[in-house]
Amino acid sequence: MTGIIQIVLSPLIAFVVGVLFLGLARKIIARVHRRYGPPIYQPVIDVVRMMSQRSISHGALFELGVVLALAGSLVTVMLIPLGGTEAFQPFAHSVLCPLSSSGGLLVVMYLMLFGPLGLALGAGASANPNASIGVSRKMLLALAYEVPFLLVILAVMSQYGSISLTEIVARQQQASWGVLSVPLSAVAAFLILPAMLGIRPFDLVTAPQEIASGPLAEYGGTCLALITVQKAIHLFVVIALFVDLFLGGGVNLATFLVKMLAVFLAVEMINAVLPRVKIEDAIKFCWKWPTALAFVQMTITVLSK
Amino acid sequence: MDRNQIAKWLKSPAKMANKYSLHAVYFCTGCGIIEIPPVITTRWDAERFGIIPVATPRQGNLFMITGYVSLKTLKAIIRTYEQMPDPKYTVGFGSCPINGGMYWDSYNTIKHLDRYIPVDGWIAGCMPRPEAVFIAITHLWTLIDKGKADGYLRYQENYAAYRRNQEMLFAELEWPPLYPCDSIAEEARK
Repeated sequence: MTGIIQIVLSPLIAFVVGVLFLGLARKIIARVHRRYGPPIYQPVIDVVRMMSQRSISHGALFELGVVLALAGSLVTVMLIPLGGTEAFQPFAHSVLCPLSSSGGLLVVMYLMLFGPLGLALGAGASANPNASIGVSRKMLLALAYEVPFLLVILAVMSQYGSISLTEIVARQQQASWGVLSVPLSAVAAFLILPAMLGIRPFDLVTAPQEIASGPLAEYGGTCLALITVQKAIHLFVVIALFVDLFLGGGVNLATFLVKMLAVFLAVEMINAVLPRVKIEDAIKFCWKWPTALAFVQMTITVLSK
Repeated sequence: MDRNQIAKWLKSPAKMANKYSLHAVYFCTGCGIIEIPPVITTRWDAERFGIIPVATPRQGNLFMITGYVSLKTLKAIIRTYEQMPDPKYTVGFGSCPINGGMYWDSYNTIKHLDRYIPVDGWIAGCMPRPEAVFIAITHLWTLIDKGKADGYLRYQENYAAYRRNQEMLFAELEWPPLYPCDSIAEEARK
């Protein structure tokens, strides 16, 4: 019974928090630019508006790609522990992770690619040249950040001797957080966070000024609303993963969300002030500093074990 | 959120959402576009009303034509307008789309934009100040509330007339009619 409640609850939390984070992002950027900014519930209005608009289709794959991306993100949420602990502590509840027993970090890593792949399928079906450029950029960027991300995950997995995310979180709550025990990996992961989220300085995939918002160029109406929801949930997934890997998760949902908010604020501050880089510079950056840091940490961790 | 509006939100969420999330496609035909960057950036900040520029017509619902319309750009304007999903609102910015403005005797600009696509509102002036954009937006809100911003419906109803006007200008258009259209059916019969 609790399993079913959790399966309903955790995507719901991801949806609500993700959409609020999107609104918060716009507000933060506005305040950094010394503007007043939109109300924090503006993405909700936008999604309702897009839902009410007539949607244009370029075939079945065009719509199925969006569904695939959204489904991939929703399943990923269920594999990530959203706070909670088995140890006895005040204000703690049991771990909120409906699919904790199936695969852990390795499955999360594969499922996180569903979003970009689904969008690539749909955008490819639209046969828009801007969309194709956007898709090719997205794939190159994924190639760029997956290398340091893999090294980071290897370091974390060998540090805690487990591929299960709940296990990793539990170990961190017993001893020290990941940011202290694998510090260089944490730095590397933070450096590639903007690339994983697709925000500045790595927002070259959906660059509106260059390639007319890339893969989204042909999407409008309901499809665009679903893509916005997918974006919100993907944002939630990536930041939740960072909190689970390096900030020790949370003893309950509230502390978990507070930690997520802290990471999100840091990332959005970077987003608000930096310009966009070119794709070749993005790859050069990702394969240089984050990869080097992650590799050094991985070597240290593996040798010291 | 204004507490008086909650009843309105519950009654017709789509209409209210369309009001407060105007994603604008700015068609930069002429000098009018120079007034748009101050509108959307720090000084006047249109985003507090939910108005942000979007890159493609598929994602927008506010179409703003900023400046004179030459024959060549009119083609692009018609195509862009037809690509936008319903409901959509058109606003002519500056005096040139209204009546030709300072290009009133030019051989290469059209004088009345609303003969070719439906226009929901005008912003007169040469140039209108950024404040005028916000006045126009609040007017557009009232029009949407009263159901008078129905340009996309008028386009559907009177498509034959609009298409005829477009064809009079270009002789032949490179794209098929958007809606079934009586004059086309007549030609087919011949």
